[in-house]
Amino acid sequence: MALLTIENLCARVGDKEILKDFSLTINPGEVHVIMGPNGSGKSTLANVIAGHPAYEVTGGRLMFKDRDVLKMTPDERANIGIFLAFQSPTELPGVGSALFLKTALNAKRQAAGEKDIDAVSFMRRLRPRATALGITDDMLKRALNVGFSGGEKKRMEMLQMAFLEPDFCMLDEIDSGLDIDALHTVSQAVNIMRESHRSFLLITHFQRLLNDITPDYIHIMMDGRIVKTGDKTLAATLEEKGYDIYR
Amino acid sequence: MTSIDNLFLMTLSGQSESGTVPPEGRRIIVPAGQHVDISLLLLHGNADIHVVLTGKQASCRIQTLYLSCQNNRNNLNLEVIHESPETTSEQIIKGIVTDTAHTAFHGIIRMPHQAQQCVGSQNHRAVLLTPQAVVMATPELEIYADDVQCAHGSAIGALDTAALFYLMSRGIAEKTARHILLQAMINDSLPPSFEPVVQEWMAQHA
Repeated sequence: MALLTIENLCARVGDKEILKDFSLTINPGEVHVIMGPNGSGKSTLANVIAGHPAYEVTGGRLMFKDRDVLKMTPDERANIGIFLAFQSPTELPGVGSALFLKTALNAKRQAAGEKDIDAVSFMRRLRPRATALGITDDMLKRALNVGFSGGEKKRMEMLQMAFLEPDFCMLDEIDSGLDIDALHTVSQAVNIMRESHRSFLLITHFQRLLNDITPDYIHIMMDGRIVKTGDKTLAATLEEKGYDIYR
Repeated sequence: MTSIDNLFLMTLSGQSESGTVPPEGRRIIVPAGQHVDISLLLLHGNADIHVVLTGKQASCRIQTLYLSCQNNRNNLNLEVIHESPETTSEQIIKGIVTDTAHTAFHGIIRMPHQAQQCVGSQNHRAVLLTPQAVVMATPELEIYADDVQCAHGSAIGALDTAALFYLMSRGIAEKTARHILLQAMINDSLPPSFEPVVQEWMAQHA
């Protein structure tokens, strides 16, 4: 059974049609990459799957674990395993990072009929993941993303992913604004989490993200739909020839 | 009319006074070298507070939260008068207004000619939870002295939809997400003794 099935999905912002009959199937354990020029609809796709209220879905189907996602609120989608690491994570003044993580995990546990996590188990779950991503105790004490550098914000997104352990992880330009070491750290976070039941959708402009992560499929997106699908070698072709040959 | 009362807490010269907000205007005199801390939670009706800093090194800190719901009409007036030089004042005013409620906030810092080397600040921030909720803010500075520091700011708006979506995208239900953001806004602006009343109001109305 496919983890995620998108059929002829159409979505718009205001009067502007962005996704146009977009279709894609992702099976458990697969890593898909979407590349495409600016404005082709990559981030819109991720936001529509996550349920961003600014986007209106005007047609098509979106099924996750055989459930109709389009009828669900963003929190319901998250709690059945959909996760989006944002391109530009929002700053939340006054909301402590650690408390936020605990609230999010407990929301997921409550949705699954489990009881809230206790303080000891919470720290035991958080600490090794934070350490692996180079996130200090000081960062966890601060308000979420407030005053964080671009790289720190991206690593905090990865921490949330590692901490919440979703089944479907979308990473929207996680490589933008990262130096080489941070990029390697983020790639490792993805590789460590690769499992037979978990799938990834990576949105990127650059082949360099794929130096450490080997995808199963690369899709080229143009004008709201996929125009070409290939294996990992497609990224190198793109890097060499650009998008023009697919226009 | 809500069942929970307005709250008032004041500490001046080591003496504390607590209770509900007096409906008639309240004038608080702060002599030289003294500090007054005033906390106010306005849930209904009006509040009208005047603080006069009468001697050097007198200072005040006024923290106010107004929470207004249903069809309530509230007025909040705060006045700080720096009668003496070398006095300091700080006002932090926050509000949450929902339903068709209407709150008018008027705050003024007065620094007459003799009020040299005074420092004053007033910061007002309010969140409107419905399109029909109204806040009218008139922050004012009346300054005649030329060697002072004085600042004021006022921001009124809806809850940040990007922040709300961010929290919900991590599995947090909309109502909880809203409470987290509202709590973050009013954080540290009131004494712990007001917290249960604030929580009760939030659970019922926010």
